[in-house]
Amino acid sequence: MTIEADRVVAGTLVEPEYRIDGRAKVTGTARYTADNRPEGTLEVAYARSPHPHARILSVDTTEAEAMPGVHRVLTGADVRSLHLGRMLQDWPLLAWERVRLVGDRVAAVAAETLAQATAAADRIEVEYEELPAIFEPAAALAGGAPILHPEHDTYRYLRGRRPDRRHANVQGERVHEHGDIEAAWAAAAHVFEHSFDVARTYQGHLEPHVTLVWMEGERFHVCSTNKSPFRLRSQLSTSLGIAADSIVVEAGVIGGDFGGKGFSIDEYVLIVLARETGRPVRFSTPYADDMRAGNCRHRATISMRTGVDTEGRILVHAASFVYDGGAYAAAKGNADLMPGGGVTSLVGYDVPAARVEGMCVYTNSIPGGHARAPGQPQASFASESHIDLIARAMAIDPIEFRLRNAIRDGGTDSRGSRWRESTMVEVLETLRREAGAARSLRPGRGRGFALGARASPAGRGGEALQGTVAVSVLRDASVEVLTGVSDQGAGAHTMMQRVVAERLGVPVTMVTVRHGATDDAPFDLGVGGSRTTPVIGGAALAGAELLARRLEEIAPDVPVLRQLARAAALGDVRVIGAFEHVAGLHSTYGYAVDVEVDVETGQVRVADAVFVADVGTVINPVALRGQILGGFAAGLGQALMEELTVHDGVVTSAGLGDYKMPTAVDVPPLRIVLLSNPGGGPFGARSAGELANVSVAPAIANAVEDAVGVRVDSLPITAEKVLDALRARGRHRQPDRGQDVAL
Amino acid sequence: VLSRLGLLRPVHVVSLRRLTALRDVAVHDDSVCIGALATLRTIETSTAVRARCGALADACATVASVRIREQGTLGGNVVHADPAQDPPPMLIALGATAVIARADGRRESPLDGFFTDWFTVAMEPGELLVELRVPALTSDARATYLKFLPRTADDYATVSVAAVARIDGEGRIADARVVLGAAGATPIRAHAVERAVVGATPSDGAIDEAAALVRDEVDPIGDDRGSVAYKREMARVWTARALRTVTTR
Repeated sequence: MTIEADRVVAGTLVEPEYRIDGRAKVTGTARYTADNRPEGTLEVAYARSPHPHARILSVDTTEAEAMPGVHRVLTGADVRSLHLGRMLQDWPLLAWERVRLVGDRVAAVAAETLAQATAAADRIEVEYEELPAIFEPAAALAGGAPILHPEHDTYRYLRGRRPDRRHANVQGERVHEHGDIEAAWAAAAHVFEHSFDVARTYQGHLEPHVTLVWMEGERFHVCSTNKSPFRLRSQLSTSLGIAADSIVVEAGVIGGDFGGKGFSIDEYVLIVLARETGRPVRFSTPYADDMRAGNCRHRATISMRTGVDTEGRILVHAASFVYDGGAYAAAKGNADLMPGGGVTSLVGYDVPAARVEGMCVYTNSIPGGHARAPGQPQASFASESHIDLIARAMAIDPIEFRLRNAIRDGGTDSRGSRWRESTMVEVLETLRREAGAARSLRPGRGRGFALGARASPAGRGGEALQGTVAVSVLRDASVEVLTGVSDQGAGAHTMMQRVVAERLGVPVTMVTVRHGATDDAPFDLGVGGSRTTPVIGGAALAGAELLARRLEEIAPDVPVLRQLARAAALGDVRVIGAFEHVAGLHSTYGYAVDVEVDVETGQVRVADAVFVADVGTVINPVALRGQILGGFAAGLGQALMEELTVHDGVVTSAGLGDYKMPTAVDVPPLRIVLLSNPGGGPFGARSAGELANVSVAPAIANAVEDAVGVRVDSLPITAEKVLDALRARGRHRQPDRGQDVAL
Repeated sequence: VLSRLGLLRPVHVVSLRRLTALRDVAVHDDSVCIGALATLRTIETSTAVRARCGALADACATVASVRIREQGTLGGNVVHADPAQDPPPMLIALGATAVIARADGRRESPLDGFFTDWFTVAMEPGELLVELRVPALTSDARATYLKFLPRTADDYATVSVAAVARIDGEGRIADARVVLGAAGATPIRAHAVERAVVGATPSDGAIDEAAALVRDEVDPIGDDRGSVAYKREMARVWTARALRTVTTR
């Protein structure tokens, strides 16, 4: 793998970074949430529902309460009015009256040891009356479908009035239209229609969700793996009716996130248990429970219809996205209760007229939540497969077709947004050059392309684009950055250190980054939406600018180290760096992937891949490489193997022995080519966190068709599906390869 | 594994960790004698095993990941009797024997027939598997272990095939053993396939015809690694591939 950067900034940023958290993690001294266990901590275990949908007739805790070591048993009846959630609070702290998924929490036990808590939870007698369950979104909307949340009118929605929905089993929906749609359909020379299915997947953070809660006087101290501590504090406060300043949330070292760590379930009930027992209480989610009753990536069914002119230019587009939202909408943080990028159809293309609609539906299965680039891999699989199918049907080279339609400066995307500047064409040209130059296809191989783009960072304004840090000079003349951003492993703290050191012109060793709890650090929305480097990095740069000015006032015209020494002697030199990122910029990217298909087994092997991305100026070159390779591996998993399989509401792959994710030896070499058009972040950085995982699957699907002439329109593209498709075409033998795709 | 899945709740657990004598790999009378506590990694890297029955080393090398192989033992692997394990089909194909100790002495049991059901072996309470004896492959025989892994390198097999074949002076298949893993409740010996190839001169036609018989010999379950129909078909494909490997000079 090589990294080629057209443009680099002199100074600190050209050096590979030394990770701030590296030594502690490698030597095992980093303290994760689960490493904290104050004296007297009680452990928590749950009684969970064995049914996907049932009425709770009775809960008998008598025996459990008499078990050794048990301090408190809580049931739904104890906390019945309380619900949790990031935007819609529709998830009861503990189920009462009804359970809505296998694994739903029915009662919680706090006991001296985990074994005691688990033993007591096993003795809780729950009497259920099974109810008809819904496993398919279509069934949820059918006439006579049971309503999963009859009390939906009473749920708290955290942003004003909850938008109207067409059916009580709909969590959220969105419709977008722009352009003269009818005229465009009438003008279209060809119309193509396809539909696609995407499986549920798991984020795969190795550290499960862990929580420790204790009381200090009247204040609740919440130690959590949640990567958005300020938002969690606000959600806890709203849900439990406790003043926000009576809750301190501290996110320590986080052991992986991939989108799953923005949502908390157990913190709420643990606060109640801490209050009632007067003891610290702790819960570490068993991995299987994290997988079956956590917040997975949404399963989706997507249909697309596109009209083009005789040259293959897109005139009009219609798309329908149906997401399986699972039993609760609580894990989603967006106002429309759709997975973030849920209706990002045909991203990166100019779409003069479009009608795009999306809907997220309740079912009796795993609640859908955020996973790295929520909604985007689903949309990208459909979009880039659809584009490829159209190009193929019109016998236009896949790169050429994409070039004709790529969005350019001032162009309009499928959501009606105008792109002020676009690097899509540059990405495509680079991809064509790199893919063509590096390889020539052997018979039996196929090559597929897929593009992508995302807002850099996500957000049309407001808190998501605003960041604040405090920068101080310490007594030893070093510089400290205080931030509310927890580092979930992506290198946020190292990034801040480098930005500040670069601006001040001091060695990185003179800058430390301190992560503060919510009672200490400046407010921050949390890690997500690929905002950390552009937004928080921007705040760090703003803080460094202010500090530099302040130092110049304190000691004009002397070297910075002497200025710092003077400031240290003076004491109390502290500035607040605040930054607001512009909206409407994008990070663009594309993949070319070569595959080999074993026509006797259907097995797809990725032989080679190149990734081109415009991420602007690189701040952490090593971490960026990690982000891209990790994203590629995650995309590969979603493409070829990952699926949380659910049968009658029971997750049958709730463990990493059955739910396989690619290991190091399964990931083929990836060549990374970086473009460096300056973005809106510090020194021109752009978002990079949620690019590389999104478009791997469609590139592979397109490559499979190129190799053996069959199309798989659902994820994952298992060997069995490929073989079935080959059999359906009556092609058992390796076909003669026609002409290679001209590049 | 079974207790973690809640399928087994042992009252007592006896550690064998200090029985260091059971960790060795030795050669006696042209058989490789592998202590039940020899790790899979030890076998994978053993020159004695490589020289006499290299396919067993290959089969051990396909188990999970190197970290697991450093901890997992051959004896543990065998008595666990998960039909998706890799060493058992290869051990059966190579004609291995289990040596079982009990208070009043030792007994030997061929590994073919040792696996009786899901997670079940023909052993009694009070017995301890102490050794596996694997006869060295003769110079006219070849062996292979093929593991079909369409997902990840550390996965269980979708289906696996262990095959041993001996070719006589006329170029005909004098003897063949074909054993499938992950294809039923136990490792499954494909007798019909064996009968069909013995006496035949290896050819694509003969092998394909014989391999097709395996479809009715296996009894796989459908799961995340494939449907029943797919696994039967893969048993056929990989049996043919294994037979080609062991009959090609």
